[in-house]
Amino acid sequence: MNRKTTMLERYDRSTSVKAVEQVGASAISSIQIAGRAILLFLDACACLPQVGRSTVTLIRQIDVSGIGSIIVLSLIAFLTGMIMAVQTGSELEKFGVISNLGAIIGATFVREMGPIWAAVIILSRVGASMAAELGTMTVNEEVDALRVMSINPVRFLVMPRILALVIAMPLLTVLADIVGMGGGAVVATQMFNRPYEEFSASARSIITGLDFFSGLGKSVVFGAIIGTIACDRGLNTTDGAEGVGRSTTQTVVMSVVFVLLADLVMTSFIQVILKPAVG
Amino acid sequence: MPTTTWTREELEAPAALSAVPAGKEPLIRIRGLHKRFGKRHILRGIDLDVYRGETLVILGGSGSGKTTLLRHLMGMLRSDEGSVTVAGREGGDINLNQADAEGMEGYRRRLGVVFQMAALLNSLTVYENVGLPLVEVDQLPPEQVMPRVVEALRRVYLPAHEILALKPASLSGGMRKRVGIARAIIQNPEIILYDEPTTGLDPVTVNGVNELTLDLQKKLGVTSIVITHDLDAAFKIADRIAMLYLGRIIAIGTRDEIRATQHPVLQQLLTGSTTGPLTEAYLAGHSVA
Repeated sequence: MNRKTTMLERYDRSTSVKAVEQVGASAISSIQIAGRAILLFLDACACLPQVGRSTVTLIRQIDVSGIGSIIVLSLIAFLTGMIMAVQTGSELEKFGVISNLGAIIGATFVREMGPIWAAVIILSRVGASMAAELGTMTVNEEVDALRVMSINPVRFLVMPRILALVIAMPLLTVLADIVGMGGGAVVATQMFNRPYEEFSASARSIITGLDFFSGLGKSVVFGAIIGTIACDRGLNTTDGAEGVGRSTTQTVVMSVVFVLLADLVMTSFIQVILKPAVG
Repeated sequence: MPTTTWTREELEAPAALSAVPAGKEPLIRIRGLHKRFGKRHILRGIDLDVYRGETLVILGGSGSGKTTLLRHLMGMLRSDEGSVTVAGREGGDINLNQADAEGMEGYRRRLGVVFQMAALLNSLTVYENVGLPLVEVDQLPPEQVMPRVVEALRRVYLPAHEILALKPASLSGGMRKRVGIARAIIQNPEIILYDEPTTGLDPVTVNGVNELTLDLQKKLGVTSIVITHDLDAAFKIADRIAMLYLGRIIAIGTRDEIRATQHPVLQQLLTGSTTGPLTEAYLAGHSVA
């Protein structure tokens, strides 16, 4: 028997269909952007032999992204180290194992928190501004002007920016590791009255060379991801000022997602495959 | 002609003009050029010859396809149908639709483009902007770049030594435009494309840019293609004027021929009337670019 659908049912159906359509369209769009970003990254890698012609831009970008991020990253890493030490130390003290505080703070920072905090600071501070800068250049036809002059925008704009982040990220990660552990050490000595030597020895007892270098390796990958996404979004900006804002937001959101995905993959690889193999 | 009697065929029919400069060879030949973006048919069969050494102004209302045509001439877009062919310097034509990277680079070395908002790189100084093609493309050392930058700025009547170290943001709109022209001519191009060169400038600066365009053509003998909707500028600088309407060239002729035509689209553009086929096309959603 045919039954007429009510207005509410029609509304529900249309909204649910729309929701599925939106999710599908968003997924397809993300995959397309990711595919295009990978091609852009490969293009940028192909331009690496000409890096000598971009030395000035490269130094300027390292200055902007690396040097400019030192203070804010230090502050955040220091505070995070202190907060973690307060939280963890209180629990460890209850069980009488506060002497292991250095190991926990150290391992957490060297393996995860250092690279992740450096990535978060870089993507929010540098990635967003990079996308906005390139987006503005695109809508102002500056990128077209480069192409018309036979200047490859990937070589001139993209490669130095990605390379600058790839260089700056490990340095910032080392800084975050040191400052974060410093924050933990301050809490250990001042709040829990533990000697610094104990904190330091505890940290050194657990952190291996693999931990340190895998953290640096992660930061290099994070730098490449953030730089590539920011440049891709910037160069594909349309619709004027509104489009620049959209590119900036997309850069931050996509960078967070892809950095965490890459972190998951690399951490799994390190913990499941690399660590047992190295012993 | 009453509005209601116009058919689309009448409006798009080419006006009976056929100005061909005597004794000149076409440098650029556009044949049957079509371009679609999705369902929008932007260019609908452009046929146009641009002759060596002339200044051709392409007029058109908003959404007529001017920018799309210009991007084909820059080699930034490839057409769906038809061709844009440029005569080679030493024989051998280049079809921009089929040119490989090397062919396109060769063509672009013969090309200077003056962008609507000058498109100067804001992070670079005037010196770095104007000298950019020499440093990045020709890879010349600084001692060879500086004199050519100064000469290019002198040609566009700018005080080189006062502005070399300035960033574009500290220049006026007219100065930025002149710096953009200096960058376009620094490699001694054979063809200069101007995209709305007088948009957003005050009348005095507009006259200055027009005189500069004429001056450059006279001194450098370049072929200039100017895309604009500025009638005064068009009639001041053009050797020939082409009218673009809904993705087709509906008239091309000398300034006098264009002035004398009775074509309703041209008449509306010339009189600046708010009623006519241009307005109707716009209201009917035929805006294309």
